Amino acid sequence: MSTPFARLLKVELKLMVRDPLVLTFVFVLPVLTMLIIGGSFGTKPQPGFAGRDPAHWYVASYLTVVIAATGLVMLPVHLASYRERGVLRRFAAAGFPSWSFALAQLVVGLVAVVAASAIELGVAAPVYGVPALHDFWRVAVGIGLGAVAFVGIGVLLGTLLPSARSAQAVGLMLFFPSFLLGAGGPPPRALPHAMRSIANLLPLSQVTDAIRDPWLGLGSASVSLIVVAVLAVATTILAARRAAL
Amino acid sequence: MCSWRAAAIVAAMLTSNVVTVRGLQKCYGARKVVDGVDLDVLEGEVVGLIGANGAGKTTTVECIQGLRRPEAGTLRVLGLDPVREPERLRALIGSQLQDSALPDRLRVGEAVELFSPRGARRGGEELLEQFGLAERRRSAFASLSGGERQRLFLVLALLGRPRLVILDELTQGLDPAARRGVWAAVSQLREDGTTVLLVTHELDDAEALCDRVVAMRAGRILDSGPPAELVDRHARRATIRFGLEEVYSSDALLEELRDVPGVERVERAGPRATVYGDRRAIAHVGSALVGNGSVPADLSVQIPSLEDALLGLLDGAQAPCLTDDHEYDLIGATR
Repeated sequence: MSTPFARLLKVELKLMVRDPLVLTFVFVLPVLTMLIIGGSFGTKPQPGFAGRDPAHWYVASYLTVVIAATGLVMLPVHLASYRERGVLRRFAAAGFPSWSFALAQLVVGLVAVVAASAIELGVAAPVYGVPALHDFWRVAVGIGLGAVAFVGIGVLLGTLLPSARSAQAVGLMLFFPSFLLGAGGPPPRALPHAMRSIANLLPLSQVTDAIRDPWLGLGSASVSLIVVAVLAVATTILAARRAAL
Repeated sequence: MCSWRAAAIVAAMLTSNVVTVRGLQKCYGARKVVDGVDLDVLEGEVVGLIGANGAGKTTTVECIQGLRRPEAGTLRVLGLDPVREPERLRALIGSQLQDSALPDRLRVGEAVELFSPRGARRGGEELLEQFGLAERRRSAFASLSGGERQRLFLVLALLGRPRLVILDELTQGLDPAARRGVWAAVSQLREDGTTVLLVTHELDDAEALCDRVVAMRAGRILDSGPPAELVDRHARRATIRFGLEEVYSSDALLEELRDVPGVERVERAGPRATVYGDRRAIAHVGSALVGNGSVPADLSVQIPSLEDALLGLLDGAQAPCLTDDHEYDLIGATR
């Protein structure tokens, strides 16, 4: 690995696994909360969960918690910290290609999503079992586009917020409502009408629908998938422009 | 642009200049921070940009590095145009940036590997040895002392033996011993023939290290030349002090000193005398004291420094001083 991009990516991956915030929010929190809430409603199919096993409902839903933690907490804090401390200026002055940092963040974000998802499924498998995939490709596309969309959002937030502290504050304020209403909280059928309307507007809800529905055989969620695809394209273009060195 | 001026610019760029800047202008919003700067740095020179905070020094070098896009002006650095070929140029320059850190958890060895141009890793190990950081190879950046961090930045700037090294406030926050170590490193660069552009408001650094200094204020160049010449031009005054207890017929001596070449003023305060004049006065006053047969043991001479020269220059300039705005990293900001 000797190209500037390869060197940058290698270092960024190392730094990711050394960051306690990343370990906590991306790798530990989703697994812990999935174990707790997945065991709270039993394993018998229930109408509130579209006739599915509640534990399986949450196992499928919590992949998007990983995506949200990466995009709304890990990346904004990381980037804002780099900007605040002049690290990006140092990369630029050292002659790293202008696109290299943005691409490295995309790859690091996707690696974090894949690794944390694998851990979540690995822990869920012996406890609740992993539900069968009804439509593998739609689920894979949903995860891929959702991850790209939220990595884009994370990079954008990191380039807009002035400091690591503000990025952490804003990131957490966005993460917890998204987590509770859009992925890891009560199922949509248990929510009052107003709350459900708000939940439907959240980008994370669209990602969750695009993954969970084809996974559990609840439908194709084509509209959600299109929304997520548009979001992925838009945030990637904006993030690439903003994060150019 | 007039044809004769364009021809002059081209001619200048064809010489052995490592850096050629003509008519550089840079604004942040409505505020002009660099206003018509002309600058030449020759191969192998150590040139210092000096001036108060907000003088436009850092912005000037950021334009030279291709980190900022100027509003007007012509730049040529190592034969490249920083505006059109910034990435190519930056890879050829060694840079130590002001207020620029590394990730806290990045280790020293990893930083060297990250910033090493292809094939320069061995040089990185040698530099770590040279700057006393070899034992800290596995230490995280956050655990380094201020001096160690500055030495690491210098190592990173020198990786791959760049022809041009830009050092911005290199000794800021260093203790005297660490500062001397950095001075030795820059002197070594000069001996190796590396061209160095030093940005500092530590005037001791500039006086000790630079072949030539360029004094800036409010985005403009006030004067430039070797440090000694700047001192001669803008701070000629020397101050000589001594006690009168050991001096025979002190009143006669003080009267004699008033007529000595170079002396401007002689003052007596109780048992002590102070003589003000230019630097020639130092020799003449010394000669008069020796002639008087008594050289006071507490004789002291204060000669003007580059700091005095800069203060003299700034006193003479009427332009308003710009204040420093807090500027975030270039990324995600308007350049």
